[in-house]
Order: sequence, then C-alpha cells, then structure tokens
Amino acid sequence: MIQQIDNPVVEVHDLMVSYGQNPVLWNIDLTLPAGALIGILGPNGAGKSTLIKSIMGLIEANSGYSRIFDQELNQVRNRVSYVPQRESVDWDFPASALDIVMMGTYHHLGIFKRPGKKEKALAMTCLEKVNMKAFANRQISELSGGQQQRVFIARALAQEADIYFMDEPFAGVDMSTEKALVSLFQEMTAKGKTVIVVHHDIYSAGKYFDWLIMLNMHLIASGPTEQVLTEELLTKTYGGKLSMLTDIGELIKKSDFNPLKS
Amino acid sequence: MSFDPNAFIIIVTGSMIAISCGLLGVFLMLRKMAMTGDAISHAVLPGIVLAFMISGSRHGLAMVIGAGLVGIIATVFIEYLSNKVKLQSDASIGITFTSLFAIGIILITFLANKIDLDQDCVLYGEIAYVPIDLWISGSGQILGPRVTYLSLINLILVSLFIYLFFKELKISTFDKEFAASIGLSTVGVNYGLMGMVSYTTVSSFEAVGAILVVALLVVPPATAYLWSKDLNKLIKITIALGIIVSIAGYYLAFALNSSIAGAMASVAGLIFFVSVILQRKQLPLIKKKLSSLKTGEANTL
Repeated sequence: MIQQIDNPVVEVHDLMVSYGQNPVLWNIDLTLPAGALIGILGPNGAGKSTLIKSIMGLIEANSGYSRIFDQELNQVRNRVSYVPQRESVDWDFPASALDIVMMGTYHHLGIFKRPGKKEKALAMTCLEKVNMKAFANRQISELSGGQQQRVFIARALAQEADIYFMDEPFAGVDMSTEKALVSLFQEMTAKGKTVIVVHHDIYSAGKYFDWLIMLNMHLIASGPTEQVLTEELLTKTYGGKLSMLTDIGELIKKSDFNPLKS
Repeated sequence: MSFDPNAFIIIVTGSMIAISCGLLGVFLMLRKMAMTGDAISHAVLPGIVLAFMISGSRHGLAMVIGAGLVGIIATVFIEYLSNKVKLQSDASIGITFTSLFAIGIILITFLANKIDLDQDCVLYGEIAYVPIDLWISGSGQILGPRVTYLSLINLILVSLFIYLFFKELKISTFDKEFAASIGLSTVGVNYGLMGMVSYTTVSSFEAVGAILVVALLVVPPATAYLWSKDLNKLIKITIALGIIVSIAGYYLAFALNSSIAGAMASVAGLIFFVSVILQRKQLPLIKKKLSSLKTGEANTL
C-alpha cells in the first residue's frame, strides 16, 4: 500500500541506489506529508539509512531523484537537518557537548564567521530541550550512549530546520529518554515540522508515528500508520514465509533487545 | 651563556617550523590521518626534484608549487585507492608514498652529477646551516637568513588557514556526514589541509628534512592529546611543545655535537613518553593521594 499525496515535503522519484555491484534500493517512489512524525521500518540491510542518506545527497543514486519542499536539496539545505547514526563518529574527539551542539549553528553563520553569544544561547536552549543542560561542558567521551544521542538531537534542533532526518535516534537510548524524545518530536510536528526517523521496533512504531514507510530494498508501504501497520504488510517487509512471531523474535535478537538496558 | 645570535635564529626557525607542523598535525591526528602526513612528506620528493629540474633553483616558488601538486596527487591517489578500489587505507598509503618516494630517489640519483641536490639534503635537512644561508637582495643587501623567512611565511599562512577555516576543519573532522549534510565541501576541506601539509613539508625540508617533518607533524599533537581533551587547549599545548622541542633540541644537539633536527625529534619523543608514563602511572596516584587527603580531612572534621 503506497499512498501518494499532493504537495509533499519530500518526494522521492524512481530512486535506485547500489553499493558497488549490490543494489540496495530499487525503484523507490514516495511522497511524504508535512507536519508528520514519520517512521522508516524494515529489517537490517533493508536500505533504511541508505534512503535518507540518498535524500541528503550523501550517497549518489544510480538513477532517480529526490526533492525537498519541491526544490533541489541545495536550494533548501538551511531548512533540512540530518542526524547521522551515533556510531558514525569518534566520540573521543576533543569537544564538549556544547561544542557539538554549536555545530548545528554553523551553516547559518557562513564561511569565516565564528559562533558568538547568540549561537551559544541557542545551543544551550537546545540542550535544555533534550534535558542535557547540566552536561553542556562535559567532555563528549564521558557521556553515555543515550546522552551522546541526545547531544546529536540537540545539534539538529540548533539547526532550526523545517524537516529532520534522523538515523536511529533511539539506538542505545533508555525507555524514558526514548519517550521524552518522542514527545519532543511530537511537539515539533505539532508546530508544522516534519520528522523522519529510522526505527527498529515495530511494537512502538504503531504508537509513535503518524506515517510509516516500510522498506525492504523495495518500498513495501508508505502511508498513515493505521492503514499500513497490518500483518500482511509487516510479513511482506520482514520476510515472506516466516510467521510473525518468529519474525519478531528475529527482530528482537537483531536489535539487541534487552529490557535491562539503560 | 652569552647570547648567541646564530642559536637564536636556529631556535626561532625551528620553533616556527614545529608550530606550523603541529597546527596541521592536530587535525591530521584527529582525522586519523597522521600517516597520510607521513606519506605526503615522502611523496613530495619527486615534486621537489622535478621542480628543481625545471626551475634550476632550490629556493623558488616552483619548488613549493611542484611539491604541493605532488602532495595533492598523493592525497587523491590514497583516497582513490581506499574509497574506490576499496583497498585498506594503510595499504593505500603504503603503496602511494613508497612509489612516489622511489620515483623521487631515482630522479635524484639520475641527476646527481648535474644538480645541486642530494638525498641527504632532502631527507635529513640541516637546520644548523640556516644562519649562514642568507637571503641577498638584487642590490647585494643582506636581508637575513632565507629559511627563517620561508618558515615565517609558512607559519603565517598555516595560522591563517587554521584560523579562517577552524569551524570547517572542526566540523568535517568530527562528523563528515553532518558536515556534508549542511553543504560543506568535505573533499575541499580535506584537499586544503593536505595542500597545506605538502606546502609545509616543502617549506621545511631544507631545515629539518622530509623525514623528521613527520615527527613534528605527529608527536607534539599526540603529546598534547594526552594532556587535554579540549580542542583549543590542545592547539595551545601543541604550540608550546613546538617551542620547547626547538629550544631543548638545539641545546641537546649542541651538547652531543649532533644533528639539531634529530635532537628535536628525539626530545619530542622523550616528552611524549614521559607524558604517557605520567598519565598512566603518576597522575592517578597523585589524584588518589589528593582525594584521600581530602576525605581524610573530612573524616577528622
């Protein structure tokens, strides 16, 4: 079930991406509505990260294109924010949490200009929103995984964008932080922002998201959560012959599910 | 000890070279590209020789441009091998710099009897000659030691580069994907940095040689990293270390009657190992003592 809409904020057309000889995404055609909290679901290797990296122009597509706000990405970069996976950077980098969040203000500054008081104040507000103000001057290597993740999200907030792409923002985050982040995202979407999140857990997906994209190299579904979160589409996404239960068991193993994890 | 103008010139020149290298080295280290710096410093050899052949002088701008270009070519090659051919990055570096270096060696030996340039000069340099290698203007006026001027210009350009592009260097070093997502040319920043490393290597090779430049690129930043996890402080410590290494290196060489550049690198290495030992053994003990003193006081109170 792929629902296309009019006046989308994100439009992906005929997108095909491959790593070397291995195709990762095939014929992705989708449109996303404004002001929605959107989840991207799919098994490992389904191309979830690849999809948002490709939309952000970080990976070259073999064919097809994507547009944001009906424009080329370069025209609207200031309105778009991207949160990479936490593991993609070296947290031993000599910087404080505040330093990292300030990076979110860089693209508004332009070349040669340095962040000043205004940028610092903005960064502090953003840290406060993710409940990390007390850790502003903490060395980033001394933060826990969940705290590092929140620093990344604060940096995205500092970009003051209209659309946010987040690659697994809940990885390594404890349950209460995850809930806090979700309500933060819901506040943002209520203000008309669009938040697109790569997510692993199909249970919580139903509660969190307004709109779901289901991906397994092909686009399986894209539409309002209540319409696409069906057993049939989930089975199609997570593998044909296996029953739902074994499938979920696999998923839990893969996502390293541990209820005691904090 | 009385004031020795020659010693002063050597130390100032050495400090300026060490600071230029250290400033760039901080970012090389944080980008996990310290060995790329090593590779470039070796790979520029054919550039130096070719520029020398074309311009016939060891001093000109041609040298800087020639070596700068080869340095960038080496960077492009390394990136190509590791990103496109999917070779391990250390193997890419190893192949690129040894090949270019070997070409340089062949070029030098081919031309050995025709030109005034030998391996020793390029590989080891000799900072002790700095005070007698004077820059003499067309009208015969002596303007001062040439290499000192070169290293001053180099220091100014490197400092300007770091100052103007600090934000860009910082963000693309920490998070390349994010930097690219806000529209920054991470490739451009990378080549800019590599270009500066090539230029600095060439500018410094007469004084400290193409091999010991690596010590100045890598060791002071690595030492500073042991002492601080704050980028600004890290840079300041690196600068201070550059100066200390030059002064101590000069007097060590003076005492041992040996190569100054070699002594500078040895001092840098020594400071590094002392820092490692202090950080690993002493500091935790000292901290423990202090805290036990404090709790002891708290208990008696």
